Amino acid sequence: MKRQIAVLTAAAAMLCQTLPVRAAEHYDVYSYDRFDEAVPSQAGYTAERAVSGKMLGTADFKEPSDLFLDAQEQLYIADSGNDRIVVTDTALTTCLHVADTFTMPDGTQTTLSLPTGIYISPETGLWYIADHDNSRVLVTDADGNVQLEITKPDSELFDASMTFLPQRVLADKAGNVYIVLGNITTGAAMFSPEGDFLGYYGANTVEETSQVIADYLRKRFSTQEMRSRQARTVPTGITSFDLDEYGFIYTCTQSVSQRKDMVKKLNPAGENLFASLPADWGDLHPVYDSATNLSYHSMLCDIDIGADGNINCLDLTAGHIFQYDKEGNLLFVLGTKADQLGGFAAPSALESCGDSLLVLDQQKGTVTVFRESDFGAAVHRAAVLCNEGCYAEAIAPWQEVLRYDGSYRQAFLGLSAGYFVTGDYKASMEYAKLADSSYRYDRAFACYRQQWLHEHGGQLLFGIVLIFAGGILLRILHRRQPPGRRERT
Amino acid sequence: MMDLTAGQWVVHAVTHPAEGFEDMRWKKAGSLKITAVILLLWFAGAILHGRMYGFQFFAVPEKVFNIVPFLVQTVVIFLAWVIGNWSVCTLLDGEGNMRNIAVYSAYALVPYVVSLYAEVLLSHILIRDEGIFLQIISVTGTLWTAVLLFSAIRSVHQYTAFKTVLAVLLTIAAMLIMLFLLVLALSLLQNVWLFVYSVFTELMYRLKV
Repeated sequence: MKRQIAVLTAAAAMLCQTLPVRAAEHYDVYSYDRFDEAVPSQAGYTAERAVSGKMLGTADFKEPSDLFLDAQEQLYIADSGNDRIVVTDTALTTCLHVADTFTMPDGTQTTLSLPTGIYISPETGLWYIADHDNSRVLVTDADGNVQLEITKPDSELFDASMTFLPQRVLADKAGNVYIVLGNITTGAAMFSPEGDFLGYYGANTVEETSQVIADYLRKRFSTQEMRSRQARTVPTGITSFDLDEYGFIYTCTQSVSQRKDMVKKLNPAGENLFASLPADWGDLHPVYDSATNLSYHSMLCDIDIGADGNINCLDLTAGHIFQYDKEGNLLFVLGTKADQLGGFAAPSALESCGDSLLVLDQQKGTVTVFRESDFGAAVHRAAVLCNEGCYAEAIAPWQEVLRYDGSYRQAFLGLSAGYFVTGDYKASMEYAKLADSSYRYDRAFACYRQQWLHEHGGQLLFGIVLIFAGGILLRILHRRQPPGRRERT
Repeated sequence: MMDLTAGQWVVHAVTHPAEGFEDMRWKKAGSLKITAVILLLWFAGAILHGRMYGFQFFAVPEKVFNIVPFLVQTVVIFLAWVIGNWSVCTLLDGEGNMRNIAVYSAYALVPYVVSLYAEVLLSHILIRDEGIFLQIISVTGTLWTAVLLFSAIRSVHQYTAFKTVLAVLLTIAAMLIMLFLLVLALSLLQNVWLFVYSVFTELMYRLKV
């Protein structure tokens, strides 16, 4: 009997394995609920394929470190270890062009050495290459003719003893060049279109930890000599940046200890527009990894602004990609540290490309393509409508989102806003409660109360008058009673 | 004169901060039953205040409900107050016994307890812009209770104003000492228990092997 059961179970197990299983991600997809706790969720993007250099018809990538999509829908990969820039189509099928030698203005040839950043200006089509080990940034046209070479500035603002190690590079609409330098904590170095050093842009602020405050107080009471021996309090330097369509620069900072200024949106004056945002970037709690028996804080190593304004952040430690909407609300978390498709060994850059996300892995030497899932498409549709202010139109898409994931907090918030606009305040209050948003509830309740008073104000007033009249009547009757009964206490 | 029912005495004491408690003392009024009811209402009011506040003002963040903090913040703190005040004031020539201290203090708490309920009720009707009204209620209730408590302690022990302030300060000190002793006793008991437990485990192990 026992053996029969065993055989049956084995057969059943085999049968189950042969059944087609819905393509699921290899890792636990989660999102945060209203208590800021990670709960299982649907995947907004699914890993489709990973592309190596060989698959593109060129040599394998060696420690590639940057990825860029230009306005002509061409993808640029800074293949640092091979000292070259690889240009491919967005479908990642063929290699269109490999750039490794460039012609200097005086006609000599020059090669790259560990290029770590690439940027193509949508206005001029010029290439900006952070040539790390050559301590320079090259500005070239598409044919490889160098227009400008930016090297270590000879300026009072730039410490002469510092080396010039460009990591990432960016040019704004006016042609100003911004360079993230590995050893500078005072922000990105800013250069004019002619290559003159202008100063620094978008420095991080120091997080007010107890250590920092204690150091500050100690410094107040110490002599100049003592002060010179104390550790200086400096913020973490920014790690990467990206431009959005309006020309705002977004920076991200990779730090073990600093939680402040992880993601910033900078206006032209260098002020952080996200400073007052309640948003918390990256994982809210350290992620425990059973393989290494360690807990990891998120360290954001790259940032990308999608075409619809979504902010994508790449987390180096846990291999997570966080997608936020314009306002910094978390939409999806995807990716992990793993050997399978959808997992990374050492992610280094990400770029959004239409409805897919491309992630570059430095160690694997691959570009992983994440395609938007049905759930992701629904969320994006709704979020775009919401961000445009079409709250009422976003009701249907948000309802669809809730059919995929019944505890998706953004959907509750969106529905609360939607029903508020359409005047269904009761529903708006209900969804605000589900989203745990006191503020939304307050807005809806204020209107609901007004509506209620409009409808029942007369009855309310009548009731109050009735109660008062009854009270007065009782008192009059009470007085008429004989005093003997009244004195009974 | 002053032939009031037990309920009327509560109203009298609360509405006459200056001499309400003197009258109570003179008439030997005040009931333990009503004291218990006030305490119970305070306890319930604290829970309502903590859990059922209007959502537009305060979203309760906890998933689980724990009754112990509410119990400690109301009944236990009241008992500590009574015991502390009694122990201090017997040394400071106070005339009140423990029963009267408990009764008078509880009566003095009535405005605060009422303000708790009023606040919770109004928090479901008002919106954030009108939150100042809730603050007014809360501050009024608390101040009124503070004044009453002062008057109650003065009357129950027949103190001067200065001595009352001293007694209140010493009472708070006594409450802190009680807290300290409690923590000490608990940690000591825990150690003793741990010791007994490990001896027991050791013995069982020896017996088995």
